[in-house]
Amino acid sequence: MPKRKLGAGSQVAESSTPKKSRVNGNQDSPAATSAVLDTPSKQRSILKGTPKKFGGIFNGEETPRSQRKVLFTTPSKPDEIEAPPESTSTLTTARNDRSARRKSARLLLEKTTFDDASEDDELAADDAIAREILNSTDSEEAEEDDFDALATINNIPIPDAPDTPSKRGRGRPRIHPKERKRSPTPPQDLPPHELYFHQNKPGAQKISSNTLPSHLLLTHEDYLVQIGAWQDSHQVERDWLQRLHARAFEQWVFELDQGFNICLYGYGSKRELVDNFLEQLCAESGKDRPKIIVVNGYTPSLTLPIILRTIASAIVPKNALSALPNQPEALLAALLSHLTSSTPAKKTHLVVHSIDAPRARLSQVQSALSRLASHPSVSILATADTLTFPLLWDSSTRQQFRWLFHDATTFAPFTAEIDVVEEVNGLLGRGGRRGMGGKDGVRYVLKSLTENARGLFRILVSEQLAAADSSSPAHDEEALSSEDEEMFEEVETPSKRARKAKPKPKRPKVRRTEVQEGVEYRTAYHKAVEDFVCSNEIAFRTLLKEFHDHQMVESRKDALGTERLVVPFRREELETLLEELV
Amino acid sequence: MEYEKVYMFQPANDRPAKRRRIEPQGLQTSWKQRRLAFDRDWSIPQRAIDARLHSINASTVDKVWTYLNLALKPDQPSTIRTGIILTGADGATEAGISKKIAEKFRVGKHRRILVPLSSSSGSNIKVLLKTLIQKAISPKFESSDNDLDDDDGELRTTRTKGHKLLNYDLQLLYDHVREHKKEQVIVALEDTEAFDSDLLSEFIELLGCWQDRIPFTCLLNVATSIESLQQRLSKAAIRVLDGKVFDVAPSSDEVEQVCEALFNSGTPLWIGSSLMSTALERQHDYIQSIDSFVKAVKYACMSAFYANALSVHLNISIEHEVIAADHFEALRQLDSFRTYSRRLLDNNEVKLLTTYLESDEALRALVSGRIAEGRQKLGVMIHVLKVIRLLQQKLPNTQVTPLSSLYVQALSGKLNGSPLLRSLLLTIRKVPSNIAASVLRALQLYHLDNRDLLVDMQPVLFRLDSLIDAQRETSTKPLRSEDDIHNSTLRTTVVAQKVELSKQKSALSEQDRKYTELLVSLSDCLGEFFEETLVDPADLVFHEIFVYDLKSPYREVFTPRPRHACERALATPHDYLDCDCCSSQQDGGNAEATLAATQPATAVLYQLYLESGSLINASDLWHAFQAVLGDGKEDAETMALFQRALAEMRYLGMMKSTRKRMDHVAKVMWHGL
Repeated sequence: MPKRKLGAGSQVAESSTPKKSRVNGNQDSPAATSAVLDTPSKQRSILKGTPKKFGGIFNGEETPRSQRKVLFTTPSKPDEIEAPPESTSTLTTARNDRSARRKSARLLLEKTTFDDASEDDELAADDAIAREILNSTDSEEAEEDDFDALATINNIPIPDAPDTPSKRGRGRPRIHPKERKRSPTPPQDLPPHELYFHQNKPGAQKISSNTLPSHLLLTHEDYLVQIGAWQDSHQVERDWLQRLHARAFEQWVFELDQGFNICLYGYGSKRELVDNFLEQLCAESGKDRPKIIVVNGYTPSLTLPIILRTIASAIVPKNALSALPNQPEALLAALLSHLTSSTPAKKTHLVVHSIDAPRARLSQVQSALSRLASHPSVSILATADTLTFPLLWDSSTRQQFRWLFHDATTFAPFTAEIDVVEEVNGLLGRGGRRGMGGKDGVRYVLKSLTENARGLFRILVSEQLAAADSSSPAHDEEALSSEDEEMFEEVETPSKRARKAKPKPKRPKVRRTEVQEGVEYRTAYHKAVEDFVCSNEIAFRTLLKEFHDHQMVESRKDALGTERLVVPFRREELETLLEELV
Repeated sequence: MEYEKVYMFQPANDRPAKRRRIEPQGLQTSWKQRRLAFDRDWSIPQRAIDARLHSINASTVDKVWTYLNLALKPDQPSTIRTGIILTGADGATEAGISKKIAEKFRVGKHRRILVPLSSSSGSNIKVLLKTLIQKAISPKFESSDNDLDDDDGELRTTRTKGHKLLNYDLQLLYDHVREHKKEQVIVALEDTEAFDSDLLSEFIELLGCWQDRIPFTCLLNVATSIESLQQRLSKAAIRVLDGKVFDVAPSSDEVEQVCEALFNSGTPLWIGSSLMSTALERQHDYIQSIDSFVKAVKYACMSAFYANALSVHLNISIEHEVIAADHFEALRQLDSFRTYSRRLLDNNEVKLLTTYLESDEALRALVSGRIAEGRQKLGVMIHVLKVIRLLQQKLPNTQVTPLSSLYVQALSGKLNGSPLLRSLLLTIRKVPSNIAASVLRALQLYHLDNRDLLVDMQPVLFRLDSLIDAQRETSTKPLRSEDDIHNSTLRTTVVAQKVELSKQKSALSEQDRKYTELLVSLSDCLGEFFEETLVDPADLVFHEIFVYDLKSPYREVFTPRPRHACERALATPHDYLDCDCCSSQQDGGNAEATLAATQPATAVLYQLYLESGSLINASDLWHAFQAVLGDGKEDAETMALFQRALAEMRYLGMMKSTRKRMDHVAKVMWHGL
């Protein structure tokens, strides 16, 4: 800084104090300024600046900035600045030239560095325009940035410009006109739809950028300790609600008996309520207890075959169990025909907790349940937790279900249904859970991608499966389990074929890295080029980027440092994915 | 057990001695008796409705069936015989026809396969074919004979000899058809509109390719029109099809039919006008299958028997000793009984009234008699409604009102003296004799069918009949009524610069005058008849017992508002919990929900959530939450509640994670929308 001062003229010395203070301010918080400096607001500032140039030139008083300039320029030149001569040529250039700011900055610089004593009119006018342009920029930081940049390019010491209003602007509290207009509190008593639009106004959102410190969030253990120690002040009322609903048990029995199915909704876990109901159902029927199968829809690994298998084991005699088909569709058909032919005296009760939970929500589960529900000797008691669960069913499914809905608000905590810590971590995007909803998410993403992207994903999946196949002899257990699965669902024919159709030369490469998961980057790329999925590596990268963004593909480095692409799913999931892709 | 996926429920304590249930008290003690009464009483209308439903589309089903039989011997082997069933708008909701055909399939031995396919069967051609083959080959869809043993319940998607085929290769089906000598494979597409048109075209073209080997026949359910189906299919697909159209009764027709069956069945419990109109409206406004209407009627009946303890009196065979005393006490509280007592008092029948008030037995007798009487009156009313419809049918320029809407009007007590009836009677006065003759014939026929109904009208009818007969012998021109506007001319004369309108009756014969007199007396007679029979059900004594007219359980049970319920529970937990601490009334009776530290954590978070925009900063939310709930608590404790509330909100589907900004969550639902 002292060096700069040396090179500066007397004018500079006069006005150096404010600049210094600014610099000092900067030095106080270097991090803050650097962050601010980084904002690439140049473009915006130019755009904003353009219209102001006119006003500033033709009548200086209109904008407050020009007034300020009048105050702080040397008193000898006020008239020139206030009423600049007819300089239309400079005006147009200033308007048209995108680098007008840069130019004007240079102009000012030249003027101040060489300290030209002869200040003729033209120069003064130019100076005014240049200053005007500079002032008009909204962010002084960007301007300062330019200024410094110029200085470093020319390798000349920057003097403190005599009266750049930027210094003044520094101290002034900046209030955007927009901000002033907006009321601090949202308007009260808006009707729901108005509130929606109010809260969704484009650009009106102002949220702080505070972050939640990680240490505040509890771990599983801490959470369990805290929740265990916590006493609910509404325990009495909650018990009362339970008793209230319990009074309807008799009605529910009647309704189930008459061929209706019951769906309980409302806030709070309904597990306990339903369990009480089942207890009573059993107690009333005495020795001849009805068969009750409970499905916990919220369990994350629930699948249709598991549900059907359990139902089958409950209603089909043991000796006939082995004769049942394995495929869900056929199994369901067999179950229904068994129910029709044997016509048990007692109804089979199917209880589905959280029928709208992610795993139970799948259309195949719902359609299977609805087909069971429509059978006269099966009755379903389901609970639904989400607010929009009726959207699960189209009119024909809903008709098959023969629902009667009952409000069963219990205010009970969802202890079994939700893994609170996981759920919150997922919500805030902190590790733990994968952002996408697993296989279904991938399916969804692939739907919106181009044919080529799907092709690439197919290549990745099939290669990964092939690699797993060729390395499987090394892992006896894995091989065994995968064979089991193949026997379990016999749908993999296309994928098998795809694997068999693999060109031979690829084999050794894969075999070399037996224990490795996934596909080598190079291999995948060549395969993609072979299949005309992409023609060059940039295109390949672009396609991969999409997968990375959705966490459908992960990049890993193996021991040798070669990059491998891994589709992070289990084998069965990969196989179903592949089958859908082919 | 709560972490198991699926399990068999075992009660916690096996001892039946420990009963959690409290024995029913008060009026609920009669529930067992009412349950029996319900079982007995509902079975009658249920049977009637079932029979009617069965017969509604019987003729169409028969036609389709014969068509399918015809298709067994194809004359053009290159095309697929296709039955196109026009179901109307609710076609997707019920696979009525194909279901009935499937029923027909079950009986009788034949060598055919019926494969019902819906749009959810597969979204691409491979999956669709796979489903088709699986369904066709799996034993369930086979025709009940022989093949079960050798199949052993397993699907045979692989061949024993030759190449291994892909599971969507129609060769598999071909092998199956050849092996089992099947004569026909019927592919029934239940919701043709829901299929992707390219997929549908491709599918049909493919079937066409195999038509020379596999004897395919298609049944397409079409809810829109043939034209739109044609537009959606490719030319090649259309060329393959050889279609025939079948019509199905529209759903409004079905509702009428079911209503009629219900009213005719002599149901012991009548459904009141407001409930009936709600159910009909819902049926009309939303595309519902007839099944849902039957369900609604049944549920109304169920609620009447379950919730109305007095319905125990509907069962006339029960002795009065069996019925608990409080049921009689309840009877005496009924509004209609009070009005009746007032009438007795006015008539100075104090003694009678005291017996009713003191003796349960006498009251029981009264109830039985009155209920029987009321039912009979309502039964007559249905006949009257039919007479009205009959008249409307015969008279020119009158629209026939649907029975269901007449019923709603009649049960609300508003039909009597309604504009509808008045205009009907006026029209009768105007009819010429040829139309009157047909009206007469219809009335006579109706009288013959229901003997005691139109007794009072007989003399008038008879005289009118003979007059018309006599006239028919003399002239071919029909007799005209004086009131008929065609028989008078309007004349304008200018008198002293004023226009005078004068009506001139055209010359009417003596017979015409007689005829007019008779018509007037006929309409008077009908008017009296309507007046007498169209009673307001609310005037019947003990109508509370045999007319059920409560909307509330119907509305809540069939058209719930779950979102509203959840939002209300969270926004104003006091509404549900009814606790002292969270009552918003305590501070100045402000109905608006207020935040309070005593409220459940999720409710507090929800109310904070309501105030925020579409993106919520988790940190700010936490601070706000802490400000409300954190008083005198450790951070960790509040945090546990906060986390649980957040997790619950996400679980309920109100929040989701966002990638837009760090530590932000996206708002998904807005209150009250």
